[in-house]
Amino acid sequence: MPGLASDPDNSIVPFDPNPPTPIIYPIQINLKPPISRIHINWSRGNLLHVACLRPAGDSGEGLAGGKVVEVKLGGADDGEIGEAERRRIAYGSVPAFALLQSRRNSLMAMARMSAASFRNEWWEHVLEYSNQISDLLGRPKLPSGSVIEDPRMVLQLVEKPTSLKAAWQLLKIFYVDRLSSAWLPEHLVDWLADYDGLLSKTDTTIHSKLAGLQKKLVDLQVVEDDPEYWEGISLALAVGWLDIAVKLLRLHGSYQLDQIDSRETENGLVEAVAVLVSTMPRMRPDLPTGKLGQSYKTKSDFIKAWEKWRGHIAKLDFSTFWVQCGHHQTREGLKNLLQIMLGNIKNITNATYHWMELCISHLLYMRPFTMSLEGMHSLAQKCMQLKPNANSSGLTEVLLGILGDNTEVVLAECSRTFGPWLVTHATELLSTENDEADILLHEERYNLGGISIDELHRLVYAQVLSSHPLTWQIAPTYLASCPKQGLGLLENLLYRQPVQHFQMILKNLEICRLYELDDISSRVMKIAGMYNWKHGKKGFGVYWLQQAQDEVRLNKIAQRLFECIGKSVSDDSFKQWEGLIELLGSEVGSAGGLEFLHKYRDFKRSLQQVQDGRANDVARQTVESLIQLMKSPSTPQRFWLPLLHDSVKLLNWKDRPLLSVSETNLLMNKLQELSLAKLRPDFCDTELPPKAIGSVRLALATNLARAILEEP
Amino acid sequence: MSNPNFHQFPQSKSIDSVRFLSPISSSIPSPSRITSLKSPTPKSIVFSTLSGTLHFAFLDPVDGSFDSGPTVETSLHRGSVSSIDVVEGGGECVSVGMDGRVNLVGVGEGGRVEWKRVADSNGLVGYSSVRWGSNVEFATGGLGFGLQWWDQRRPGGAVSQLKGNWARGNMPSMVHSIDIHPSRKHICVAGGSGGTIFAWDLRWQQQPIILSGAGVSGTSQSLSESDVWEVQYDNHTLSSSVTSAPSTKILPVMMCSEDGILAVLEQDAEPIELLGEPCAINTFDIDPQNPSEVICALEWESIGILTRPRMVAY
Repeated sequence: MPGLASDPDNSIVPFDPNPPTPIIYPIQINLKPPISRIHINWSRGNLLHVACLRPAGDSGEGLAGGKVVEVKLGGADDGEIGEAERRRIAYGSVPAFALLQSRRNSLMAMARMSAASFRNEWWEHVLEYSNQISDLLGRPKLPSGSVIEDPRMVLQLVEKPTSLKAAWQLLKIFYVDRLSSAWLPEHLVDWLADYDGLLSKTDTTIHSKLAGLQKKLVDLQVVEDDPEYWEGISLALAVGWLDIAVKLLRLHGSYQLDQIDSRETENGLVEAVAVLVSTMPRMRPDLPTGKLGQSYKTKSDFIKAWEKWRGHIAKLDFSTFWVQCGHHQTREGLKNLLQIMLGNIKNITNATYHWMELCISHLLYMRPFTMSLEGMHSLAQKCMQLKPNANSSGLTEVLLGILGDNTEVVLAECSRTFGPWLVTHATELLSTENDEADILLHEERYNLGGISIDELHRLVYAQVLSSHPLTWQIAPTYLASCPKQGLGLLENLLYRQPVQHFQMILKNLEICRLYELDDISSRVMKIAGMYNWKHGKKGFGVYWLQQAQDEVRLNKIAQRLFECIGKSVSDDSFKQWEGLIELLGSEVGSAGGLEFLHKYRDFKRSLQQVQDGRANDVARQTVESLIQLMKSPSTPQRFWLPLLHDSVKLLNWKDRPLLSVSETNLLMNKLQELSLAKLRPDFCDTELPPKAIGSVRLALATNLARAILEEP
Repeated sequence: MSNPNFHQFPQSKSIDSVRFLSPISSSIPSPSRITSLKSPTPKSIVFSTLSGTLHFAFLDPVDGSFDSGPTVETSLHRGSVSSIDVVEGGGECVSVGMDGRVNLVGVGEGGRVEWKRVADSNGLVGYSSVRWGSNVEFATGGLGFGLQWWDQRRPGGAVSQLKGNWARGNMPSMVHSIDIHPSRKHICVAGGSGGTIFAWDLRWQQQPIILSGAGVSGTSQSLSESDVWEVQYDNHTLSSSVTSAPSTKILPVMMCSEDGILAVLEQDAEPIELLGEPCAINTFDIDPQNPSEVICALEWESIGILTRPRMVAY
């Protein structure tokens, strides 16, 4: 970006002015030293070609003079999403993106639309778009459909979700799901349930703890004696994974038939807590199957239920039954759970690992009512102080950017962690409901060369796509949505595609057709024409040049072709020209100088018929073809004499003179012209016998004499 | 548009050609991208490549996988092989290229490849597709919607040809694919640029029958405006209707196109669009054993399998 490095404070995207530690790529050359020169140049995509050369003349027996090594740069691929999967996402997002762009254009075109209804309709389109992309990034795997549920299976260890999907969902929650802003905390609870394991790669999270417990559960005989069991329940409860907490509680030994009599009170307490957990009031429209709690749509209903629920908890907390509970761990464990539900900060802090988990716990048990973005931001800051994490993940940085209402930070973090795909597709979400973000993204900027940030990101993404041989053809969709520089870059992209294989040329032409780039398509065809002509595919070369109506090149090519044809005037090998002549078609003008070939073929054909002894009218037609050929400026001079020589029989036609006086004069003039041309240095002689010109002259003179006598 | 009977399977590479085979899982290396793939018998595969090579592979009866067989590496064509076809049941393979060469390749005694050149136009004409009509006759197609009919009993070039200059204006006009029905050897059906699908009846030589596309006839409907990459007779309808139809009638044809359409066309009937995908459908194949199953390869590195409801006899 121009001007960025000099002025970090005013930059659009925050950046670290200190350059990062350079990355070292060791390469193996296996070349005998000394190495005298090294050339480095870009190859496709992020590949570098490093050529190492030994000194000239030092190449001994069997020694290579140099070697070229390919180095793949970047490799930002952290292994989470492979190259093929990235391409799958790139392909899959094209239709959704293109549909959204076309909808924007048609909405813009509707003049008589109020701002409110415009917004509403646009928002619906963006919602649909964000759902399509989100499906593309992976749908949640349904739990295995086993009929008998394993009670010890508390945490479904399904395929790990990707951070990319987590980031997209986060953006969607805050920028698109505006109808549900009242249920934002619950949305975040759900989000954390899906993606908690991604918060940190190295630090402990509730997810990693529970996954550990799940493995242990299979072998554990008396669960309630194990402190990890009680910790597991408190962790699940703290972040609102009520189903897991209840499932774990019901594994308690007091439920077993042989113990239920001796541990009746204890079991009653466990079950009471389990019931309280599963009846927790939730401020949300509904709950998916399998999730516990009671949902309330309106705030007043929710507050009523909330107070009542808290009352039940407090009542149980002060119950006298606790004294009769002989199992120490159970008593302490259950009490801790009650404190968490009552929103005791100490217990909550103990029952979470990551600051984001603490934050969610706060939202669930301490401030269960909707709060402003600002409020959430300060809460997040507080939680971070309580639980500082050494390694922050890109996801939490994105979240902080969102809470801080700082679009620039969100964009920068998306770009840094997730790359150009996410930024390009996410800008549509960011500006949906936020006018400031809309201006920030779409304002034309002087320091970006007059383009907007939105366009900049699309251009960058299109460049990434163009650099791969399998994805270049989807880059035009993105370039077409760039009002300032898109078209120029699109032309450039199409212009430099290789033309070795005709499938590639056709793809290129198809894109030209879709974007109505007639000029580029004509240039591509010219390039293809010359390439094929030079590589021996003469017919194919001529075909493309003809399609491109490139008269100049066709004329030049015609001269070259006639050199080959000149030798085969009267033999059968002319047959192999048939295909090319067919291809040229009969339309005059489209074939450049090659139209001669067509007339020549017709002349040869009727001459053949004359020699087979056909009637006078055929002979007369042949003469007309001859006159046309001789008149035509596209007939090369070197064909004049062979043509006349082939026609001697016509000139000496027995029945009557076939040529009129004026026609004979025309031919004699041509012959005269030819004799003069012979003196010029660039004249090319034919392989006809020396007396040919004499016999033609004689025939012409005879015909002239007969014609004068015939004509009145 | 999502079709509940269409299942897409993303691959991590570009798919250039698909064919139904007996249920075998096998992988054969190829030096470059494949231009044409044929399976003349359930036990053999023949394919050609962009780098100009031709490869045979045969089923190993012991471990049930395909093993690379003989290969023609050089001098078959200058540049890539455009298209190949093998006589049904396993016989000679004909190969054509834009270099204007037409070759016949066969595997002789002891697994040795033998090949001979039928024609070489020295690049004056190029061929983009080829299809056998019988054991000794085949059709080729190329630029300007031209079709040629070759008969090995009459050497020295094509024995008849369809003049190709009926295409419109300056739009490309190339034949990409030809099919010939075993019960109607006198009719070639071809698909090519500009959504064009036409038939050439050898008995009425100079007038192509346009089934779709921007040809000469104003009445013909156009399914697609882009290249038609493959055409195949659709044997989904029961064979009784094939034998009872007059010999001039063009049987139903399936096509796939650059603009993502997979459809079945029938003369004097509305075309049936089976798929409308956001990317090109490069190739397809109809399961010979169960014609309601169609496999296709999509431009965006995936293959798709479409299951059609079974046809009721009519």
